[in-house]
Amino acid sequence: MTQASTSTNGVSPNGALTEEQLSSLSTAAARNLASTTKTRPQMQGISPRWLLRVLPWVEATGGNYRVNRRLTYEVGTGRVCFTVTSDTVHIVAPSLAELPALRYLAGNPDLLETLATHFTQRTYQPGDVIAECHAPANELVLIAHGKVSSTTPGEYGDTTTNATIADGDHFGHHTLIRADTTWPSTFTAITPTITLTLNRETLDQLVAQHPELAAALDTHANEEFPHSNRHGEASIYLTSGHTGEPLISGTFVDYELSPREYELSLAQTVLRVHTRVADLYNQPHDQTDEQLKLTIHALRERQEHEILNNPEFGLLHNADLKQRIPTRTGPPTPDDLDELIRRRRKTQFILAHPRAIAAFGRECTARGIYPEDVEHDGHTVRAWRGIPFLPCDKLPISDTNTTSIIAMRTGEENHGVVGLRQTGLPDEYEPGLSVRRMGINEQAVRSYLASTYYSVAILVPDALGVLEQVELGR
Amino acid sequence: MPTLSGFHSGRSLNGGVHTVTQTIEPELSSEDGQEPPQQLSLGTAAARNLATTTKTPPQMQGISSRWLLRILPWVQVDGGVYRVNRRLSHEVGDGRVCFSNIGDQIQIVPPTLAELPALRALADNTTLLETLATHFTQVTYQPGDTITECHAAANQLILIAHGKVNTSTPGEYGDATTLATLADGDYLGHDVLARPDTTWPSNGTAATPTSTMQLSRAVLDQLIGQYPELGIAISEYMAGERPHQNQYGEASIHLTSGHTGEPLITGTFVDYELKPREYELSLAQTVLRIHTRVADLYNQPHNQTEQQLKLTIQALRERQEHEMVNNTNFGLLHNVDLKQRIPTRTGPPTPDDLDELLALVWKEPGYLLAHPKTIAAFGRECTKRGIYPTGVDIGGHKIPAWRGVPLLPCNKIPVSDTNTSSILAMRVGEENRGVIGLNHVGLPDEYEPGLSVRFMNINEQAVISYLVSTYYSAAILVPDALAVLELVELGRGIDD
Repeated sequence: MTQASTSTNGVSPNGALTEEQLSSLSTAAARNLASTTKTRPQMQGISPRWLLRVLPWVEATGGNYRVNRRLTYEVGTGRVCFTVTSDTVHIVAPSLAELPALRYLAGNPDLLETLATHFTQRTYQPGDVIAECHAPANELVLIAHGKVSSTTPGEYGDTTTNATIADGDHFGHHTLIRADTTWPSTFTAITPTITLTLNRETLDQLVAQHPELAAALDTHANEEFPHSNRHGEASIYLTSGHTGEPLISGTFVDYELSPREYELSLAQTVLRVHTRVADLYNQPHDQTDEQLKLTIHALRERQEHEILNNPEFGLLHNADLKQRIPTRTGPPTPDDLDELIRRRRKTQFILAHPRAIAAFGRECTARGIYPEDVEHDGHTVRAWRGIPFLPCDKLPISDTNTTSIIAMRTGEENHGVVGLRQTGLPDEYEPGLSVRRMGINEQAVRSYLASTYYSVAILVPDALGVLEQVELGR
Repeated sequence: MPTLSGFHSGRSLNGGVHTVTQTIEPELSSEDGQEPPQQLSLGTAAARNLATTTKTPPQMQGISSRWLLRILPWVQVDGGVYRVNRRLSHEVGDGRVCFSNIGDQIQIVPPTLAELPALRALADNTTLLETLATHFTQVTYQPGDTITECHAAANQLILIAHGKVNTSTPGEYGDATTLATLADGDYLGHDVLARPDTTWPSNGTAATPTSTMQLSRAVLDQLIGQYPELGIAISEYMAGERPHQNQYGEASIHLTSGHTGEPLITGTFVDYELKPREYELSLAQTVLRIHTRVADLYNQPHNQTEQQLKLTIQALRERQEHEMVNNTNFGLLHNVDLKQRIPTRTGPPTPDDLDELLALVWKEPGYLLAHPKTIAAFGRECTKRGIYPTGVDIGGHKIPAWRGVPLLPCNKIPVSDTNTSSILAMRVGEENRGVIGLNHVGLPDEYEPGLSVRFMNINEQAVISYLVSTYYSAAILVPDALAVLELVELGRGIDD
């Protein structure tokens, strides 16, 4: 039949077959008989999730994990926060209590509010000297925005750089307590910098007006801490190198009385599949299975996001302030990375946004160096000083194109960063993740509750370091 | 005499060894003035008649290393069609506007205006798009010229017809932070279409001589007044609700996390694309003809049919690689997602450009593929910066690499008339959601995997015909598996 019709219609006047008229079955028609090879559903949002892969997972049975540490006398020097309205910078008054000398005023917001209004705003251009080493110091300087380097005269007269401080840091704290002091080092603005300063005279006036302020400063000045090591931990008394028969110091190791407890956090969702879809459309891929797989990928992506960004336990928010350093110039230079790495023993991983890694590559290239790659878990990854540089797109990039780079030591035995989870959940689907049947509703939709429990703990503060204000577009 | 011998030896370079001997022998004898010595033994010329020549199989220059075919994991397609199922994506394909030019006069290809998200609804209304296209004015900028100023009032839609534009915004500390480089077909100020009073989100500076086509808000307002359809399309775009989606444009999977107490947990399902892309196996075919007399007789030491076939297959495989790169339907160069295409910042392929390219396929960068000339140009750029990237070993071959990712040569990536080319970066493998090759192994009369040689017939001139066919295609499972660095200038950076 087909043959006949083709020969009548498909032949052009001169007897040859026209282009459109095929002499045999077309592929379009043949496809109706053939089965298509079908992929599993593909998803773009799946990343390598290096952080989840490199973190050693510790069982938190009972849903809680307590990190017992040695007793620390350290007074938490936090960061002062600021709000900006057009060009004027205001202090978020309660955050002034982060200054050690003012911490007894934490319960007195009114006074902090008054204090906050007495700061004066100043602007510096790059290269401007804010304070000169050994010159008389008479003001407390809060850095609202910008980077400031502190330098002192070196051994042979040239300058030696101590540190770079940035937004929220302060210097001249000692002027709050004592009247006639000098600057311990020279502070120079590296970027355009806005500071808020509190003059010693203004302070004296305020002290006279508000006896509570005087009392608080007094308490702080007279505070006596027991012996502690440079990390603020209560000393373990030792005697060494002695001759003769001196009395050997007795000692004990004191612990923190209210150690930090990490409760397992969770990510959950209810996955709904219509029974008709689940029952019938299962060749070659099981529908419920595929739905579950993608949902679990989404849960795991969220988990990684939370482990970095959760304000309660997320790594970015829990890095110790002393372990946060700003970049010296802006882009992530090899020098900044060296500075980041040197702050802890045994840095095992550096985690950065792929764009930050590219920016670091640019800086290396500009200096004419080509860091060797390393083999990590069967993958060739970038490295710096032999430490693998792992990409992670969950590290946030700000509107002004800045991001952070994280360096860490992991594992319980290394006193590092550990991931917390609990395995052995009822209806466990994969470690630490359970998928539970909920029931079928009257629309014949079956629901599954997929939940995963996780948290992350930093055993010792120096296990985690953050390089902040990494500029990407320079 | 010297002139003559010079002439002869000059020609002998082309004419082969035989000419040289003939010319030189008489020359020697005449200079010495002696009779040629009596030949005492058999000459090589005569001896050759008794000896067998060692003959190579036929050699061919057109064979390349075909790295692309070697590195791609091949997936068996049984029914001839491969369907890539993906999660539902709400992404509106913001494509590129195309231009044609007559001399210096640039014209917009009107239907491509519908690639602008706000004008997408007008895709069927070609007359209106044509009218719109005529209202654009051409503006040319020189390198360094400011095209847009961040935070200044924006009142132009600017389409980049040709050239590169760097965008930047004020950075954290007041200096500029570079965002991206835009090139041919990209646009600035799309918001101007949607809203009357907007500001530029970034500074735009011409990096090369740049021709743009601009439509001012005032003209647009007039046009909206004349053509209500235009107003409707734009306001519909404005009012259109964007469903929840992730950063890749995929419909969200709703999750609840970090909650305490007993909040209602969001229900969810993973939606799929309703019309997934299907890849049909493409093919390369030829009919190889060989005369029976040749096939029957001249087979020592090399089988004639087999040699003919071998070279034909090499040619087919070369064509296959060419198609997998360049085919407009499934070729890799044409299927790179627009967000995965970046132009070079300055022109030549610098290490910085490659770092940026790798950041686009950061999830599991597998291979970089570039024309050998591009690799040389990249080498120059590295040398200029004083760096020497270490190579890697692939299957016993030492291959140049960048950041541990092998940089493989592929001469099928086109080099344009203006000496520009592209560099491809890809992740491969089905389980990695990467780029895969599709083929069908188990054909009737299969000669090598995925290639069949079938005896057709012997015609009345005693010529045997063989049908040689191979079936193949390439699929990109997830758009971010493939990225391309475009407009790589090859002839720059030499001697400067």
